[in-house]
Amino acid sequence: MSWDTIVQRFFGAKGSKDEAKGRLQIVLAYDRLGLSAEQMEALRKDILEAISRHISIDVDRVKVDFQHHQNPAEVVINAPVRRTRRPAEEPKPSEAKQSVG
Amino acid sequence: MSGRAIVITSGKGGVGKTTTAANIGLGLAKHGRKVALVDADIGLRNLDIIMGLENRIVYHLVDVIRGRCQVRQALVKDKRFPQLSMLPASQIDQKESVTPEQMKDVTAQLKEDFDFVLIDCPAGIEQGFRNAVAGADEAIVVTTPDVSPVRDADRVIGLLQNSLGDPQLIINRIAMDMVKRGDMLNQQDVLDILAVRLLGLVPDDEEVVIAGNRGAPVILNEHSRSGKAYDRIARRILGEDVPIPELNGHGGLMHRLGKMLFRR
Repeated sequence: MSWDTIVQRFFGAKGSKDEAKGRLQIVLAYDRLGLSAEQMEALRKDILEAISRHISIDVDRVKVDFQHHQNPAEVVINAPVRRTRRPAEEPKPSEAKQSVG
Repeated sequence: MSGRAIVITSGKGGVGKTTTAANIGLGLAKHGRKVALVDADIGLRNLDIIMGLENRIVYHLVDVIRGRCQVRQALVKDKRFPQLSMLPASQIDQKESVTPEQMKDVTAQLKEDFDFVLIDCPAGIEQGFRNAVAGADEAIVVTTPDVSPVRDADRVIGLLQNSLGDPQLIINRIAMDMVKRGDMLNQQDVLDILAVRLLGLVPDDEEVVIAGNRGAPVILNEHSRSGKAYDRIARRILGEDVPIPELNGHGGLMHRLGKMLFRR
């Protein structure tokens, strides 16, 4: 271990294995689906379009993730909602988490 | 006799497939079984040098397939354990010069004479992999606890499940000091990700390098931690119920000295 790392650890930085596990779980979710980056992008676009027809969302901040560590795997869409139902009020961004089986 | 043909594979290169094949082969032979080790890595043969049998090769796998000799003539008998033989790969041919059907045929012939046929698979998932898997009844996947070997192992497991069913997993080169400080995936992390049955854990061990240098696989060194791990794996393959122990870090010199002095 380098001195930098030792110092960081002394001040409470965590080991790197959780990061490895998390990254692997995401990359394998895509690998196992056998979807290419373009196909994923097309899926993301279709989902966004469908949601946008009903509520206004912040398209740039939408995240579409596959979570494989539970069975069955889940598609988790994280879409920040731009406007609440009362358009008269000041628009407040709020995080809406939606889970699609 | 109809033996078990087991392919040892990984996807990623350099994770210890050949070392694993050599040690399991010797382990099974030590326990009295007749074993044929087949090097299926045509063009990049290595099992011979790991086994220390590189000077005794006359014919090789492609010679057998081309009909230039009989399987028995190409087998190199290990003098340390006469019930162990190795079928070397060709160093000059291409992987494409062999078909899965031909490999199936050679493996079937070996299964008649041996209890175990262990096939050392080349890295990758192309022709060489398909050849090595063709004649196998079961598969062992080797990985190390690093991101790229685990990812490749997952791909290989997916491919194997279509043909041979669920493989068993060996996690190689576990550095316990790194696991303890949270800088290396532990066995449970790897199993969470890959969701297959664990056959064994092998600690990271300098003795493996020394064994390679000498052409005397580490299982022949009965005091080495990795040698003991391979022996447990061989016994599990034979159906013995050998528990998988928690690996302990050997610690540094000071740690060991402290242990001796204070009997902690």
